[in-house]
Amino acid sequence: MDRPSESSVCLSVSFAGLTLSNPVFLASGTSGYADELGEFMNLDTIGGLITKSITLLPRPGNSTPRIVETDAGMLNAIGLANIGVEVFIQEKVPILESLQTTVFVNVAGQSISEYLAVIDRLAPLKAIDGFELNISCPNVKEGGITFGTDPAQVEQITRQAKKSSGSKPLMVKLTPSVTDIAVTARAAIEGGADALSLVNTFTAMVIDIESRKPVLANRTGGLSGPAIKPIAVYLVHKVYTEAARPAGIPLLGMGGIRTASDAVEFLLAGASAVAVGTATFVQPDAAARILAGLETYCREHHISHISELTGGLQ
Amino acid sequence: MKRETAPDSKGIALASVLSNRPIRSNFWKLLLKLDAKGSRLFSKAIPGQFAEFDVSSVSVPPQEVIPENLRDQASRTILLRRPFSFSDISITYSIEGTYVTLEIIYRVLGPATIRMTSLKTNDVISILGPLGNGFWYPEPMKHALLVTGGMGAPPILHLASFLKRQYSSVETVAFVGARSLDFLPFEVKIGNKTGLALEEFECLNIPVCLATDDGSAGRKGFITELLEEWLRTHTPPVKQTVIYACGPEAMLAACADIAQRYQIHCQVSMERMMACGIGICQSCAVQIRTLNPDQSPLYRLCCKDGPVFDSQTVIFGENR
Repeated sequence: MDRPSESSVCLSVSFAGLTLSNPVFLASGTSGYADELGEFMNLDTIGGLITKSITLLPRPGNSTPRIVETDAGMLNAIGLANIGVEVFIQEKVPILESLQTTVFVNVAGQSISEYLAVIDRLAPLKAIDGFELNISCPNVKEGGITFGTDPAQVEQITRQAKKSSGSKPLMVKLTPSVTDIAVTARAAIEGGADALSLVNTFTAMVIDIESRKPVLANRTGGLSGPAIKPIAVYLVHKVYTEAARPAGIPLLGMGGIRTASDAVEFLLAGASAVAVGTATFVQPDAAARILAGLETYCREHHISHISELTGGLQ
Repeated sequence: MKRETAPDSKGIALASVLSNRPIRSNFWKLLLKLDAKGSRLFSKAIPGQFAEFDVSSVSVPPQEVIPENLRDQASRTILLRRPFSFSDISITYSIEGTYVTLEIIYRVLGPATIRMTSLKTNDVISILGPLGNGFWYPEPMKHALLVTGGMGAPPILHLASFLKRQYSSVETVAFVGARSLDFLPFEVKIGNKTGLALEEFECLNIPVCLATDDGSAGRKGFITELLEEWLRTHTPPVKQTVIYACGPEAMLAACADIAQRYQIHCQVSMERMMACGIGICQSCAVQIRTLNPDQSPLYRLCCKDGPVFDSQTVIFGENR
């Protein structure tokens, strides 16, 4: 008797005009610039990679301690430490060119003109497929989250950044530290965003009860990890139903994903793709494991195209 | 001056527990046998390198056996791996094949190390490594002065046995400091002629200068005072002398200061809060001296560029 052949699963998704081999991204700030995780997995098997934030000039970052662990999570206040766009082009872009995977560059700045200068410099480069606009970093004094919490500024910076990114997709990364995330989401869509990514970390604090001082040198940091996952799933669903689905804009869901079932939750909530962040710190090949688990889930649930899961919440 | 670079090959391996026992006060010694992949990766690991241990799935011991002052900590969950350096690495050749054994000394201090005390023989944990850059050996080296404070001992012990094996002509002296007798992470023998002996150094024939802040073991005072006294009385040729230090940052800063005054090359093993250990999270920044004081601060990563640094390149005391 012939055994039924194993049903094949199509993991490919279309995302902001790009075709990705699968919906798993490496999140910005947790996967280095390009090559750091190549020792642990074949990066070409991952759907996409988002570089750590790039600014116009190099940034040294904050004083230490820059991180502290919390129950089921961690706080970070790195302060956008990065090598700056010119060194990035010289040293990292050649490595990115050799990768097959989709590459988004996360862009940060203290002023709109700085964001635009970085995108203008990078947009012509073939190795870069798109941009993620970081208007949600909680750990710098200027720029970052100050743009992301004001809908008018979100719309303005998105509109200008989209002009610079041209034909390359522009994704706007949203902060959860607002009263109604759907309002900022709509502002970004109004400004011309091709996709939204959410959520960035939650502003948080850990206190050393002996010294009675915050543990982090920056006093506050961004909370990430499994602790934020249920809130992130909720916010993805909220943005999906109230802003993204009506506008036909895809979402990149993230926040505490460390297993394939976590990823499935985000897809069901409305994400077209997911990003693995803090989990990579613990398990450098976490994204590859999650991808394998997603394929198994689809096969077991007789799902032929993984995109069928998006927004499948009953 | 040649510096060893990090081995290209690091990875995730499984380690099974050979033994795990308390040595004294709240210090424990853990022996791990690595699987085939781990043995391949770690057979080239050098003193001063480290590994990230995943102990998140290790069970919490019953409340009753946890020291009272740590019970509050014990209930915390663990997300991140924990970095540990080695007090020794050995290769065993047996009929079943070659395997590497790692020896770790840890102090029971928080949720991760509390869990580690419940590790039993044959338990398996995931380790990531070997990571970072270890100590290096400038030529010609005739005197190696090993300085350790408190929990800084393990990589210095590893270095001591390495020097004895690979650089047997180098005259090595150990300077061991701690807050008090209870904070010495060694197998301490009390009651012999010299009063107190640290077995680990004794069996390597390395003389030990000992100091504690409260005088409960060795001289009362800082170990760096003994180091400077030794340099004053022994006047070793400075170009052929190296100071290797691991311990609290204030001690490392004092070593760097002495090294500069005596024009001696000094290497310090730094410690920082660390998430990934492989250079992606950027949390373990160490501030580095720049030629231009007006320039914005320059950082290197403890995990990737260190943890061992030339002491003259480091700005100490930035980490609170």
